Amino acid sequence: MRWLLCALALVASLTHAEMRQPRIAVIDWGLTETLLGLGVTPIAVAQTEGYRRWVQAPELPAEVIDLGLRVEPNLELLSQLKPDMILITPQFAASRPQLERIAPVHTLAIYTPEAEAYVGAQRVTRELAALLGRLVEGEAMIARIDANMVRVKQRLATQALPPFYVMTFLDQRHVRLFGKQSIYQGVLDRVGLRNAWTGPTNYWGFTQQGIERLAEEPTAALLYLEPMPPGTADGLASSALWQQLPAVREQRLYGLPPVWSFNGLMAAERFANLLEARLVSENER
Amino acid sequence: MTDLLAQGPLPTRERRGFSSHPIWLCGLLLALTLGLALTDLGRRLPTGEWLQGIANPVDGDMAQLILHYSWLPRLCMALLCGAVLALAGTLMQQVLRNPLASPTTLGVSSGAQLGLLVATLWAPWALDYGREWVALAGGGVAALLVFALAWRRGLAPLTLILAGLVVTLYLSALNVTLMLIQQQDLNAVFIWGSGSLSQNSWGGVEFLLPRLGLGLLLLLPLLRPLALLELDDSGVKSLGVPLRFLRFVTLTLSVYLAACVVSVVGVIGFIGLAAPALVRLLGARTFAQRLRWAPVLGGLLLCVTDLGIQRLAGNLAELVPTGAATALLGAPLLLWLLPRLRLAGGQPQSADSQHFERHPFPARRLAPLALLLGGVLLIALGLGRGLEGWQFSLTDIAVLEWRWPRVTAAAAAGCMLALAGCMIQRLTGNPMSSPEVLGISAGAALGLIALLFLLPYSGPLAQLALGGLGAGLTLLLLLGLSRRSGFAPEKVLLIGISITALFDALQVILLAGGDPRGQNLLSWMSGSTYFVGPQMAIWVLVCSLLLLAASLPFGRWLELLPLGDGTPRALGVPLGRSRFVLLLLASLLTAGATLIVGPLSFVGLLAPHLARLLGLARAVPQLLGAALLGALVMVAADWLGRTVLFPAQLPAGLLASLLGGGYFMLCLYRR
Repeated sequence: MRWLLCALALVASLTHAEMRQPRIAVIDWGLTETLLGLGVTPIAVAQTEGYRRWVQAPELPAEVIDLGLRVEPNLELLSQLKPDMILITPQFAASRPQLERIAPVHTLAIYTPEAEAYVGAQRVTRELAALLGRLVEGEAMIARIDANMVRVKQRLATQALPPFYVMTFLDQRHVRLFGKQSIYQGVLDRVGLRNAWTGPTNYWGFTQQGIERLAEEPTAALLYLEPMPPGTADGLASSALWQQLPAVREQRLYGLPPVWSFNGLMAAERFANLLEARLVSENER
Repeated sequence: MTDLLAQGPLPTRERRGFSSHPIWLCGLLLALTLGLALTDLGRRLPTGEWLQGIANPVDGDMAQLILHYSWLPRLCMALLCGAVLALAGTLMQQVLRNPLASPTTLGVSSGAQLGLLVATLWAPWALDYGREWVALAGGGVAALLVFALAWRRGLAPLTLILAGLVVTLYLSALNVTLMLIQQQDLNAVFIWGSGSLSQNSWGGVEFLLPRLGLGLLLLLPLLRPLALLELDDSGVKSLGVPLRFLRFVTLTLSVYLAACVVSVVGVIGFIGLAAPALVRLLGARTFAQRLRWAPVLGGLLLCVTDLGIQRLAGNLAELVPTGAATALLGAPLLLWLLPRLRLAGGQPQSADSQHFERHPFPARRLAPLALLLGGVLLIALGLGRGLEGWQFSLTDIAVLEWRWPRVTAAAAAGCMLALAGCMIQRLTGNPMSSPEVLGISAGAALGLIALLFLLPYSGPLAQLALGGLGAGLTLLLLLGLSRRSGFAPEKVLLIGISITALFDALQVILLAGGDPRGQNLLSWMSGSTYFVGPQMAIWVLVCSLLLLAASLPFGRWLELLPLGDGTPRALGVPLGRSRFVLLLLASLLTAGATLIVGPLSFVGLLAPHLARLLGLARAVPQLLGAALLGALVMVAADWLGRTVLFPAQLPAGLLASLLGGGYFMLCLYRR
C-alpha cells in the first residue's frame, strides 16, 4: 500500500513538474538543440530563422518566439516574456550583465580548450539535465547517442574506408577543414574513421585552407557538408587543380546535407547517421 | 611637451644620394622576390623538374600540378594586380592632384563587395555567370554614383574625393548590415573582401590580361594631356584641354582597371595609394617617370608581400589574406615615409572650397534645433514595439528602464562626435576630415580588438581602459609624426588614413579567419548602444557636457586656424600649442564616443556640415548647432535601429551612417 502511495506521489510530482515546466530563453543554437533533445521546448530562441535553415534538426516548434540577433537578444522583448532562466554560451557573454537583470543566467560551454567537443557536449547535456531536473532523460540521451555511435561503427567496420577530410566549402578556392576540437572529430573517432586533417585548428576546431592542401593525403576521401555557396560548383568544374586532386579524379567525393558545425550531441548523432546513410548506400550500390 | 611641438614647420632636410631614384628600391625588391621565389621553388621540386612543372606538369604528380596551377598563377597574379593597382592609383592621383586618391577612395572596392553580397543573398544565379561580373557591376555603379555626385562641380578634385569617401562609408555601412544579419551565408565574401591571391587555375590571369591590355591601349592617347595637369586648372584650360572630359575619361579608365583586379582577387587597398606615393618620394618628379616606376614598384611590393606571407605563415597562410597583409605592412611604411613626403601645406585647401550663407542671429537657429531634439528624445523613449505590436508610453518603467540608458548614450555620443568633427574640420581646413579620418576611432577600436582576443570575456571597465589606451597611443603617434610639419593638414590626414588602414586590415583578417568571435566584433564596431547600462549612460552624458563646456572657450582659435598658417600667426595665435590643445580635445571627444557607438559613424562628418548649411558659420554657434544635430541624428538612428527590424536590432552607428550618408549625398549633389 505504502509502495502504491509512493508511486502515486511520484506520478503526481512528475505531472506537476510537467505542468510547471520552466520558461526558458536560449541565446545559442547548440544549447537549443540539446534542450530539444532533452524534450524541453524553450519559449524563445535567438535567430529562429537561422536555426531552421542551418541546424534543421531537431525541429524548432513554430510557437517559439524569435529574440533577434544572437549577439544582441532583444532585452525589452525578453523582459516582457518573463523567462525563468536564460541559457547562453561564453561566446555571447558580453550581454550577460544585461540579461541577469531579467532572469538567472546560466553559461554553458560545449567548446573549451581543455576537452574535445564531443566530451564537452556530453558534459553540457548533463549540466542542462541537472538544471532542469531531467537527469534520467539526460543520461538516456547520452547513452542512446553513444550506442548509436557503436552501431554506426559496426555498420562501417565491414568496409575498407579511407581517411576523410571533413570540410565545408567557402568558395571555389577555400575550404574549412575540421580537425581536433571539432564535434566531427569526436564522431569520426567513435565510428572508427580517421580524419585526414591532423594540422592545427582554432577554438572551434576548424581551419581555413586553400584546396591544394587536400592533396597532402593522396588516399583520402573528401566529405563536404552542404550547402555549397552559390557559384562554387561551376567554379570547381572549371578549376584545373580541383579536377586533378586525387580524391576528385578517383571520385572519392561525398556530399552530406547541412549539419551545424558548432553544435552538440544532437549534431553529432545527425552527422553519424548521415555518414552511415551516405557511405553504406554508396558502397552497396 | 609643448616645447617639443615646434611652432611652425622645421626645415626639412633634403635627402640625396642612393635613395633618390626609384630604381634602387625596385632593384632591392626584385632581388628579394627572386630570392624568395627560387628558394620556395627549391623546396617544392628538385631543380631538374622545374621546367617540366612550369611548362607541362605530369598528370597525377601533385607537386608539379600545384606548381603549375597554383604557385605560378599566384606569382603572376601578384605581379599583375600590384602593377595595375599602382597604375590606377597614379592616374587618379595625377588627375585629382591629391596624394590621397586611390582606387579604394572612389568607392570601387566597397561597391564591388556590396554587389557580391547582394547577389549571394538574393540573386545567386548571377554568380553562375562569374563573380567577376557581379563585382565589376557593383564597383562600376559605386563609381558612377561618385561621379554623379561631383558632376555639377566639374569633377573638382576635392568634391570628388569627398563624394568617394561618402559613398565608401555608406556602402560599407550597408555591407556591415548585411553581414550582421546573414553572417553564415556570406563567408565567401569575407574571404574575397580580404584579398586572397590564392589561385587554382590560370583562369584569373586569363581573365585579367586581355582586359588590362585594352585598358592600356585606351590610356595611350591620354598621356600627353595628363602630363599637363602639373599646372593648375586655369593654366590647363588655357592650353585648350577639356578638363572635365579628361578627368571623367581618365577616372573611368582607372576605375575599370581597379575593378577588374578587385573582382578577381578582392580588396588589396594599400598598393594603389602607397606605390605612387613611394615613387614620388624616391624622386620621380614627372608624370612620365611616375607612370613608368609606380607599376613596377606596385607589382614587386605585392609579390614580395605575398611570398613573404606564404613563407612566414606556413600552415596559417590562408588565415592571413595578402590584401590585408599589404595594408598591415604598408601602413607603417607610409607612416615612416610621411615626414619625408613633400606636399603643398599650410595654404587653404583649394580654390573650390565651399562657401555657406551665414545666419545673422544664430540663436534663432539653435532654439528650434533644441526643441526638435526634445521631441525626438520623447519619441525615442516612449514609442517602441513589443509582444503586442506598437506601443507608446512614457510611464511604463519596465520598458523605460531599458530605453533611457541607450537614448542618453546615443545623444551624448552623437554630440561628442559632432564636436570632434567641427574641431578637426577647422583644424585641418579640410571638409573631408572627421574623427574617423583622423584615426583616433580606429586606435580606440584596435585597443578593444586586442582585449577581445586576449581576454575574450572581460567587462566594460577593461574595455574602457584598453579603448582609451588605444586612442591615447594613436594620439601620441599622431602628435609625434605631425610635429615636424607643424601639423600641416594633409599630413595629419594621411597619418589618420594610415592608422585607419591598419585597423581595417586587422579587422578584415579577423573576420576572414572565420572566428565566431568576429561576430561580436562586428556588432560592436557598427556602433551599438546595446551594452550601455545606466551607470555608463550617466558617465558618458557628464563626459560629453564637460567636454562641450571645455570646447567653447577655443572659439577664436577655431575661427582663425582654417585660414592657413600666415593669418593666425600674424594675429598672435600660437600655432603649435593651439593645434596641440585642439587635437587633444578632439581625440578625447572621439575616444569617448567610440567606446559607446564604435568607430564607424557618419556623425562627425555630417553634423558640422549640417550646422554650416543652416547658417551657423562662426565657430561657437557651429559647435553648439553641431552638438544638437549630432545628438539628434544619433538618437533617431538608435530608435530606428531598435524598431525597424524588430526583434532584431541594428546598431545606432550603422543607422546613423545610412541616415546621414543619404542626406549628405543629397546635399553634395544639390550644391
